[in-house]
Amino acid sequence: MKNKLSFRSLFILLMALGLLPGALTAKDVTLLNVSYDPTRELYEDFNKAFAKHWEAKTGEKLSVKQSHGGSGKQARGVIDGLQADVVTLALAYDIDAIAERGKSLPKDWQKRLPNNSSPYTSTIVFLVRKGNPKGIKDWNDLIKPGVSVITPNPKTSGGARWNYLAAYGYELKRTGDAAKARDFLKALFKNVPVLDTGARGATTTFVQRGIGDVLIAWENEAILAIKELGKGEFELVAPSISILAEPPVTVVDRVVKKRGTEVVAKAYLDYLYTEAGQEIAAIHYYRPRLESVAAKHASSFPSIKLLTIDGDFGGWAAAHAAHFSEGAVFDQIYQSGK
Amino acid sequence: MQFKQTILPAVLVGSLSAATSLFADEAAETAKELRKQIQELDQKVRILERKSEIDKEAATEKSRTAASVSARAGGFSIRSADTNFVLKLRGYIQADSRFFADDHVGGTANDTFLLRRVRPIIEGTVFEKYDFRLMLDFGSGVTASAANNSYVQDAYVTARFLPQFQIQAGKFKEPVDLERLQSGANLLFVERGYPTQLAPNRDVGVQVQGDFGGAAGSSLISYAVGAFNGVADGGSGDIETADDEKDIAARLFSHPFKNLDVDALRELGLGIAGTYGDQDGSVRSYTSIGQQRFFGYRSSATPATAANVVANGIHWRVAPQGYYYYGPFGLFAEYIVSEQDVQQAGAGTGAGTIASLRHTAWTVAASFFLTGEENSFKAVTPRNAFQPASGGWGAWEVAARVGGLDIDDDAFPVFANSATSATSAFSWGLGLNWHLNRNVKVNLNYDQTDFKGGAATDLLAKGEKAIFTRAQISF
Repeated sequence: MKNKLSFRSLFILLMALGLLPGALTAKDVTLLNVSYDPTRELYEDFNKAFAKHWEAKTGEKLSVKQSHGGSGKQARGVIDGLQADVVTLALAYDIDAIAERGKSLPKDWQKRLPNNSSPYTSTIVFLVRKGNPKGIKDWNDLIKPGVSVITPNPKTSGGARWNYLAAYGYELKRTGDAAKARDFLKALFKNVPVLDTGARGATTTFVQRGIGDVLIAWENEAILAIKELGKGEFELVAPSISILAEPPVTVVDRVVKKRGTEVVAKAYLDYLYTEAGQEIAAIHYYRPRLESVAAKHASSFPSIKLLTIDGDFGGWAAAHAAHFSEGAVFDQIYQSGK
Repeated sequence: MQFKQTILPAVLVGSLSAATSLFADEAAETAKELRKQIQELDQKVRILERKSEIDKEAATEKSRTAASVSARAGGFSIRSADTNFVLKLRGYIQADSRFFADDHVGGTANDTFLLRRVRPIIEGTVFEKYDFRLMLDFGSGVTASAANNSYVQDAYVTARFLPQFQIQAGKFKEPVDLERLQSGANLLFVERGYPTQLAPNRDVGVQVQGDFGGAAGSSLISYAVGAFNGVADGGSGDIETADDEKDIAARLFSHPFKNLDVDALRELGLGIAGTYGDQDGSVRSYTSIGQQRFFGYRSSATPATAANVVANGIHWRVAPQGYYYYGPFGLFAEYIVSEQDVQQAGAGTGAGTIASLRHTAWTVAASFFLTGEENSFKAVTPRNAFQPASGGWGAWEVAARVGGLDIDDDAFPVFANSATSATSAFSWGLGLNWHLNRNVKVNLNYDQTDFKGGAATDLLAKGEKAIFTRAQISF
C-alpha cells in the first residue's frame, strides 16, 4: 500500500502555520495620527490622555505617533501610502481628496461624527508686533503699501486657504464685487514676502525670524505665540470679519482594517468629543464644540463675525475649484502679482 | 544806540538758536531715515535668509521622499526613499571551457567552449514586506519542455511577515542540498559535486521559512518547510504531469556557536534536510563532474517491446550537511541518501518488477585564500582588487575536493544495464580561483573520475580526466 501524502493535509498544515503571524505579532497597539501643522501641542497632550484612558478601559498599551505638515501635503502623503490610522486635517477638502483619490474611506465620511466630524473649531486672526506699529485693525490694512504680511502657501497649507477665503470674504461682503475681491487679494499677496508651506512655518517666519508686520494665523496659533512663544512681544488683532474654520477628523478605513485598529481608532476620535477631549482642545486655544466647555473658556476667544465655508463659499469643492485648483484665482493673482 | 546794544544781540542769538534747532531737526530726520533704511535692509536680509531656509527644507524633504538610484558591486538598484519599494537588476555570466583527455574516443564528450550560465536577475520589494525574484537562464543548451521551462530558473514571491516567519511561493530551489542552495555565482568548483544530483533542483511550490537569532544566512537557526510538486533526482520542474501527489521538503540549519565569543567556531554551520513524497513518472540519469552520463535507467520510447523504468512510489531523501569557515580556510561537506520506488514498466527481463533503490552521494571540499581573504559560503571580496599599476592582484584561492556517487546494487540488472552504467563514481579535483574583484572571477579546475562497473563503454572503462575553466562576471 502506498503511503501517500495527501495534498489536503499539506494545505491544512500550511494554513495552520499561516496563523502564526497573528500570534507572533501580538503587541502593544500603535496608531498614526496624520495631522496639520499647528496641532502638535494639542495632540501631544491629547494622545497622552487618551492612551491613559484606553489602557484603563481595555488594558492595552497604546502609543500614538504624530505626523504634522501642511494639510494638503499631509493628505497627499496619505493618498501616496502613508499609513495613517486617523487623519485630523485643516479642512474637509483634504480628507475628501483622500476619499476620492486614495479610495481609503467612504465619500460620506463627514457624516460619521457629530458637527461635520469637526470636534473643535477655530478662526483666522492677525498677530502683530507689540504696540501694533503699523496700526493694523482690519483686512484692508493688509494691502497698504509698506505692510509686510506673512501667510503660508494656499497650495500646500489648509490654514492658508482659510486665511485666503477670510480675506476674500471680507472684501466680497464689503463691496459685493467678486472682481474687487480678487484685486484685493492680489494686492494682499503683493505684500507677502515669503510663502511657507505650512502654518507652523509661517509662525516661525514671523515670530522667530522677525519677518513681517502681521501674521495671518489660526486663532490657536496666534494665542500660542502670544502666551508661549514670545510673551509680551505680540498682540492679537481680531478683524471685523473672519471665517469659521472647522478642522475635521476621521478614521482611514483602509488602513485600520488592514492593521486591525478600527476599534481603537474610532475610540480615539470619539474621545475628542468628550468633556476631557474638549477641555484639552480649549487649553490649546481651539474653540470647543461642547457647550459646557465652550462656556467655561468663552473669555479666551474674541467675538468675531464669522463667514462659513458652506454658507458663503458653496462648500469646499466649489471654493477649491474657484480659487485653488490649477489656473484658478490664486494662481492668477499670485503669478501676476509677483 | 540802544538798538545796537539790545536788539541786535537778541536778533543774532535768536538766529543762531533757530539755525541750531533747524540743524538738529535735520539730523534727527536723517537718523530716522537711516534707521528706516536699516530696518528695511534688515527685513530684506531676513527674508532672503528665510527663503533660503525654506528652499533647504524643501530640498531636504525632496531628498527624503525621492527615489535613489545606486550602482555598486552588488548590482544596480532603484529604491524609494522609505525603502519600501526596491528594484534590483543583477545577473551573472559564466563562459566556460571543458577539455577532456581521450575525448577522441566515441561516446565521450567533446572539448568545448560553452556559456554555462547566462542569467539576468530582476528582484525587488514591493510594499516593504513582499520580495520577488525572477531569474532567467540563456546558457548553452537550456531548453524548455512540457514539464520544465528551464529558461525560467527562479520566479517567486516571498512575504516577509517576520524574520522568523516568511512564506515563499513560486519556482525556486527546494530547501535540501547545501551546494545547490549556494548561488551558482559563488561555487568553489566549476561544477557542483555529486550530492546535487540526488537532491531536487528547482520546483514549484509554497514554503514557510524563517530565521531565529540573526539574519538569513548567518542566523543561529534557520528553517524551511515546503510543499512542492516533486521532481526526480537533480531535476527541476514547473508543472506536475505525472501524478497528483506532492513532496514535502524541509531543512534545518544552524550556526550553533554563532553567539560564542570564539571566532574559530562562529562560522561553523550544520544542518539536515530531506524530502518525502510519492513520485511517478520519469527517472533521471546521473553524470560525472564533466557532465557525462555514467548511469542511466533502462528506458525505451516503445515500452511495449522493451524495458522502461519509471518512478512509481515513495521517494525520500535525507541530506546531512555542513560547512566551516575560519579566516582564509573553508571546509564544505555533505552527504545524501535518495531512495525511490521504481518499476520496470516495460517489456522484457523483469517486466513489472518493483524495487526501492537507494543511492548515496557525498562530497568534501576544502579551500584556502593565499591572499588572506575571509573565506565564505557567499561571495568573497578581495582585499586588493586586480589593479597591477597600484599593486593589487585580486584574491587567489586554492581548492581541493573529493566525492562520490554510489548506485544501489539492486538497480542491476533489471533496472539498469551493468554494461553501460557504472555502479559508482569517485572523483577528486583541484582548483585555482582568481577573484579579480567582487564581480569578476576566473576558475581553473582539474577533475579526475573513476568508475566501477560499466566497462563496456570507453568512458567508464578509462575514467574521466577533465580540465575546466570559467570566466565569470556577476553583479
